[in-house]
Amino acid sequence: MHTLISQFWQLTFSGAVQGFIYILISLGYTMVYGVLRMINFANSEIFMVGTFATIVVSRDILGHQPNSGDLHGFTLIYSMLFCLIASMLASGVTAVIVELVAYRRLRSRGTNRLAPLISAIGMSIVLSESVSLLTAGRATIAPEMLHKSSLFTILGANIRVDQLLVFIVAPIMFFGLQRFVNHTRLGKGIRAVSMNEETAKLMGVNLNRVISITFLIGGLMTGAAAFFFETVYEATKFNIGFNIGIAAFTAAVLGGIGNIRGAFVGGLTLGLLETYASAVLGSQWKAITVFIVLVLVLLVRPNGLFGEAIQQSRV
Amino acid sequence: MRTTNSLRNFNVRDKGAAIWSGWNRLQRTSFGIAMILLAGALPFAGNYSFSNFLNTPISNFADVLIYPVGMFVLMSLGLNIVVGKSGMLDLGYVAFFAIGAYTMAICGKWTHLNTWEILPLGIAFAMIAGVLLGIPTLRLRGDYLAIVTMGFGEIVRITALNTQKIGGPNGMANVPNPPSIHTPLGVLDFNIMTPNSFYWFVLVLILLTIWMIRRLSVRRPGRAWEAIRQDEDAAELMGVPTLKYKIWSFTLGAGVGGAAGVVYASKTLYISPDAFTFNISVLILSCVVFGGIGNIWGVVLGGVFLAYLPERIRFISNARQLVFGLTLVIIMNFRPDGILPRKKREKLSSPAIETGAK
Amino acid sequence: MKKNMKLGVALVTAATLISGGAVATSASATTYKYYIAYQGPLTGDNKQTGLDEIAGVKYALALYNKANPKAQVGLKQVDDQGSGPGASVVAPGTAKDKSILAIVGPAFSGASVASFPYYKAAGLPLISPSATRVTLTDPSSTDFGGPVFHRLPSKDDKQGPALAKYAIQGVKSPVVYTVNDQSSYGTGLDGYVQSALKALGHAAVGTDSVDGTNTTLDFSATISKIKDSKTNVVIYSGYYAQAAGFVKQLRNAGFTGIFASGDGTYDPGFIDGAGDAAEGARLTASSAVFQDAGKAIAADFKKVTGNAPGTYATEDFDAANIILSCIKKGNTTRAKIQKCINTGTFTGLMGNTIKFDKNGDTAGAGFINAFLVTGGTIISKGQI
Repeated sequence: MHTLISQFWQLTFSGAVQGFIYILISLGYTMVYGVLRMINFANSEIFMVGTFATIVVSRDILGHQPNSGDLHGFTLIYSMLFCLIASMLASGVTAVIVELVAYRRLRSRGTNRLAPLISAIGMSIVLSESVSLLTAGRATIAPEMLHKSSLFTILGANIRVDQLLVFIVAPIMFFGLQRFVNHTRLGKGIRAVSMNEETAKLMGVNLNRVISITFLIGGLMTGAAAFFFETVYEATKFNIGFNIGIAAFTAAVLGGIGNIRGAFVGGLTLGLLETYASAVLGSQWKAITVFIVLVLVLLVRPNGLFGEAIQQSRV
Repeated sequence: MRTTNSLRNFNVRDKGAAIWSGWNRLQRTSFGIAMILLAGALPFAGNYSFSNFLNTPISNFADVLIYPVGMFVLMSLGLNIVVGKSGMLDLGYVAFFAIGAYTMAICGKWTHLNTWEILPLGIAFAMIAGVLLGIPTLRLRGDYLAIVTMGFGEIVRITALNTQKIGGPNGMANVPNPPSIHTPLGVLDFNIMTPNSFYWFVLVLILLTIWMIRRLSVRRPGRAWEAIRQDEDAAELMGVPTLKYKIWSFTLGAGVGGAAGVVYASKTLYISPDAFTFNISVLILSCVVFGGIGNIWGVVLGGVFLAYLPERIRFISNARQLVFGLTLVIIMNFRPDGILPRKKREKLSSPAIETGAK
Repeated sequence: MKKNMKLGVALVTAATLISGGAVATSASATTYKYYIAYQGPLTGDNKQTGLDEIAGVKYALALYNKANPKAQVGLKQVDDQGSGPGASVVAPGTAKDKSILAIVGPAFSGASVASFPYYKAAGLPLISPSATRVTLTDPSSTDFGGPVFHRLPSKDDKQGPALAKYAIQGVKSPVVYTVNDQSSYGTGLDGYVQSALKALGHAAVGTDSVDGTNTTLDFSATISKIKDSKTNVVIYSGYYAQAAGFVKQLRNAGFTGIFASGDGTYDPGFIDGAGDAAEGARLTASSAVFQDAGKAIAADFKKVTGNAPGTYATEDFDAANIILSCIKKGNTTRAKIQKCINTGTFTGLMGNTIKFDKNGDTAGAGFINAFLVTGGTIISKGQI
């Protein structure tokens, strides 16, 4: 308890950074859920692919070595941009492939809801095991890009430049996405499908294309999260997506799955909650605290804090 | 349904049902007994040249038949009551398995009770947990229920992990075997050298569970679950006390999981929290869907196949999980309703379980 | 019809997969009269430990088979996923397979406890390279693995006090915070570290358990607590990959005190992962890293196995060699090998003498060496 009071702003800041990463990943769940009404179980592995893409680009293509010191000036800027784009693309493409392999065939036949869930789980095993075979199950270390020293101190909280980057860029990406969904033609297509698929189809929306694009966008956001994760933590492993995937999924449900604004609130809440709970009760009780809060929230608001985009009863 | 779906409509289950309905009582009974005997003789299959292709590399075939195969079949049947019969998505089923196993370990080590006496206790504790979890959460629908149950599964595991009194991460060793039942040839002895008797014990539990599900299916609870699965709102409107029957289905499923846990702990003699991870819940759900949701024989087949496959392909060591994942993707794509789907009539008339995505 | 064909194709593919695999096993592997087995995690979350360990066994076996072409010994890979439940699946079959004379492993303590009943019943001797739980060699405990169980690393109750002592060595007024990774190794070692600290009069001001069994990399809350308690010594009990991430974030948060950790962190991978942050880290372990045996042998190791020597490579190599030297003396039953291991005196990779006591510990296992990370390498500071 003492830590929570004396380190309040430090905890809040690190919790928020964690939360912003959750937000971007939970978009991968929430976008897909919005149009398909299905949990994209492979999203955690889509994240994992992004973390590896970041490392491969920075280490093997740009030739930066792990632990050889941080980058400066122009090299820093183009390296980061390059890695961000690579990570987003890798995750985006993986997401589209997941849709093609695990969902499309089943969707076009209108099967029961659980078949795609299991085939997505299968895809997620395939992805993580392939990477596990390639890396011999070892942790892979990322080259350092940003120096991790404290930039300045506000209210007793040390603000680091890598965390600050997440703190600033992640919300920009989020609001960019929200604008895209609300104001562009494609975004309107996505919303139309998520409101009523049949009608959208009748109105001339190309369903397969919209769904592919939804997966792509979810993947791009997840990939961005993977890049930020690597900038802050600088290591990955074939099973890195498991915990963070569950957390992001929880965040999406907490905010109201299928609801983009809900993902923001859910992700931030979860990041803060985890950090506070670890400080007060000990890290080992963090997951339990999160789930108890989730159950309490769902008891009061059965569709999450912000509710679903559309209300519809189903299995 | 268009002609392109003829593969999906190719239905072993219907053909089997057609043959079955043409039989008289004597034929049915003798077929049933023959099948049970055949299942009972399975542990010996590894010893004969015509059936020794079943043998698993590294692991011992008769032991594999208990865990994972027998346990997975038992748990899949239990989960099928929840997911298949009443249409609720439960991602935390492993919690009940864990409760059963820890009941066995704790009571077996710290009291004088033996496995036969602990079995009802384990089932009872699992059922109580089912009710306690069910009352507040079963009002939730679909994927919200899924995540709450997933959370429950994790809560049980993490609590066990952080409770030093029950071993924490070290788990509990020296859980007692069941006391042997004395028979002339010692066929019902229970110790680590006698996997067969454990297998028969599990087989009896599986048969009892199947019997229970079949009885309930044709009676009031079965009809209520069917109504809930197809359209919960309509069922509620027609006067079906949906919450009550949902809790019932959840609790029965929990009880089966608890029984599986008790047997597991007294067979392996050692349990630790890493036997009860989220992955197991997902695997059990995969067995149910893979075999054919709602169809008992499909679920049994799914459990047998998915539990047996990773053991059978142990020779490819590293890549066996990869093959497992590929199998899930391929089979689900080609047989989305599982290997042995439930009756077509039921499925077509159940809009609730359809995606809406056509 | 067409669709039925497709189903047929799928089924045939599946059938070929299984039978093809069966053919592959019988065709690819030359069969040997005798085998040793390695038991550890070859799939799952901890597989990097298992892959590192099995490389050591493979190397020892390759050297042996080259020197004894007439009496080659094979290797069976027993994958227990590093967990008790995984071990319960494989142990009965391994115990039954009479061609297996002895096992290097199990790698993890939980898996060891789960396997013991089967190996005790079958009299199958074990030499573990890495199971450190104290109770495994304590005859009064239910975890006791005797008479079949032997191990090379030192026990947690020897290492805990040494680690505690070394961590606060030369610190004027130590304020210690301990962290474990919730694994059975981490919590076990942490317990002994804490009681040793209490005995030294510097009881830990706080302790936290981070999630190390999975893949969490965010330690900010734990680090806030450490900073809040004005700590100057942090002792981490867990494995190197997580320890690297932890110490990095700890240093980034401005912590300037001492970071100390046990043999789970004693691995070149720790320095690769943590970089500059590893500088000055105090580590304890009962053995030397394989690379200390000389550049030539380390290079040969990599050439033969395709892996650079990793965690516990020394212990694996030694364990396999002990068994192989017993086989070479003509002991070709489990009981004879068991006797040979119990009574023999062996020489390890570093020229050290290895002899097991009646509970399965090595006589020298009480000695813990101290190491300091200096200039990116692990430097030995002698016994502590």
